[in-house]
Amino acid sequence: MISRAPAMAERQVRGSSSDAGEARINVRGLNVSFEGHRALKDISFAIPDRRITAIIGPSGCGKTTLLRSLNRLVDSTDGVKVSGEVWVDGADIFAPGVDVAAVRKKIGLISQKPSPLPMSIYDNVAYGPRIHGTKDRKVLDRVVEDSLQTVGLWEEVIGRLKLPASKLSIGQQQRLCLARSLAVQPEVLLCDEPTSALDPISSQNVERTLVALKHDYTIVIVTHNIHQAIRLADYVAHLYLGELVEHGPAYQVFRSPREERTRAYVDGTFLDGFKKDKELDLKGTKCPANFVHAKLALDDMEKGQVLNVIVDDPTAVAELPRGMEDQGQEVMNVRQVDEHVWEIMIRKRE
Amino acid sequence: MRRRRLEESIFKGLMLFSLAAIAGILLAIVVVVTLKGLPALNLAMLTQTPKGGYYLGKEGGILNAIVGSLYLAVGATVLAFLISLPVALYLQRDYAGKTRMAGLVRLFLDILWGIPSIVYGAFGFVVMLYLGIRASLLGGVIALTLLEIPVLARAMDEVIGTVSADLKDASYALGATRWETAIKVTVRQTLPGILTAVLLAFGRGIGDAASILFTAGYTDRVPTSPFDPVASLPLAIFFQLGTPFPEVQRRAYASAVILLAIVLLISIGSRLLSKRFTKHVVK
Repeated sequence: MISRAPAMAERQVRGSSSDAGEARINVRGLNVSFEGHRALKDISFAIPDRRITAIIGPSGCGKTTLLRSLNRLVDSTDGVKVSGEVWVDGADIFAPGVDVAAVRKKIGLISQKPSPLPMSIYDNVAYGPRIHGTKDRKVLDRVVEDSLQTVGLWEEVIGRLKLPASKLSIGQQQRLCLARSLAVQPEVLLCDEPTSALDPISSQNVERTLVALKHDYTIVIVTHNIHQAIRLADYVAHLYLGELVEHGPAYQVFRSPREERTRAYVDGTFLDGFKKDKELDLKGTKCPANFVHAKLALDDMEKGQVLNVIVDDPTAVAELPRGMEDQGQEVMNVRQVDEHVWEIMIRKRE
Repeated sequence: MRRRRLEESIFKGLMLFSLAAIAGILLAIVVVVTLKGLPALNLAMLTQTPKGGYYLGKEGGILNAIVGSLYLAVGATVLAFLISLPVALYLQRDYAGKTRMAGLVRLFLDILWGIPSIVYGAFGFVVMLYLGIRASLLGGVIALTLLEIPVLARAMDEVIGTVSADLKDASYALGATRWETAIKVTVRQTLPGILTAVLLAFGRGIGDAASILFTAGYTDRVPTSPFDPVASLPLAIFFQLGTPFPEVQRRAYASAVILLAIVLLISIGSRLLSKRFTKHVVK
């Protein structure tokens, strides 16, 4: 169960009315090679702001390399050669003289294998802020608590903050790594197969956190799990042997991919995801009528069941989730499934 | 199959035999030295410096050598550590790692490790003459530092090299510099290993005789300045064993027992300390 920090509850819920959003990161002609072997060939695409972008493709196709290029962590690999540009907020992060530490503060990364630092839980989360100059104990306490709250770890570790981080379970460790990244207040979160090392329940926890975070952070997630991409992504980039095969809004890449290779990879396994107990088709209705219908439908359901509301009204995409949250219900996901059609999944909490 | 089972038994037997040999050697050394030395071991040995005629059998103790050895070994180990830690950190992949220079440095360290300690002593002697220092605590510390550096640097290099790139990447991903990562993450992670390396070097330093033969001098007093000559346990053993008096020879074995005891105490103490340091280490 994710307990959301206050900031989250007041967020402006933006509907995915424009599926690509504004571009947050612009990759232009990125080429990366390791000791002669070309890992990424001429990659160019734009990552939309405050959406979840999934990079999919088979193992070894360069997904991790691409991700690590976005915060210059690729620099530390032996024999690496990078050419091309990655533009973030009006500047190319590969330009000579760029402050790499500042880039990494803005663009955080979580890897596949949870890597807690060899220190206590508190120190793990406070590590980033301390490095960037925060010394005041009270401020650090607040940052640690907020970050742990956001990832839903606070209740589980309260009172044990001084314990070594390595004592946590692997699912908790991964959430700790997420909290650690959030503590430096990044704007972009890069996630390299964040749930592949976790059990299903921990995976679900992490996925839910990412979905909750996407309205405040731009998230890029690498995954070899198509179902996960379908569950989470607003935008998709398909990589194959270092080449960008196709990229576009999720509903388009999964429903009607343009490229044969993408079609073969995705193989028609789409629109799966969460189990829906009831589906309500509200296409054609406007706000606030669709909210009323949804609420009535939810009243009839049992606690814990999931209602899937299908709308085509862009205003509803923003207003309906907000209204539901005000009522104390849990909005699990908002997803665009077609050019003018959205699905809003709500779980009844009370 | 029977042949293979026979092979299995033979090798198991060989391994157990080797184990027994090692345990046997250690026990033999400790038992023999203790048996010969215990009769002469008394409180006076530990708390008094040699009075006149000590080496002929009169009263006194080897406090000068005990304190002298500790001064020498601690001084040398601290100095060697201050030089070796930066070297070990620089040899990581994050810095020089795979470059030719790193390979060269490691080669140099390996060669330095192999240099006999008497050669360090002779070299130290020349350095001392050049600097105008007499045989003294300072001279001994310099010679021992040179002796300990390759041991310490190589051992720390090995253990620091075991830190996974994933762990360091986690630090870099938060915007840390290489230096911050080296001190706050790498060193913390390898603290138990570093402690072991320090102990290894300390043990080498406190037990060596050849390098301090000409550089540290010898005296019956406890030194009060780095320019005073200093006694040491290995040399105390040497001198006492070299006299024709059985009484004094027994004292030599007693000194050996004391030296063994110091090394043992440090070893055990470090294991206990190490437990505290492994608390945060990430598996």
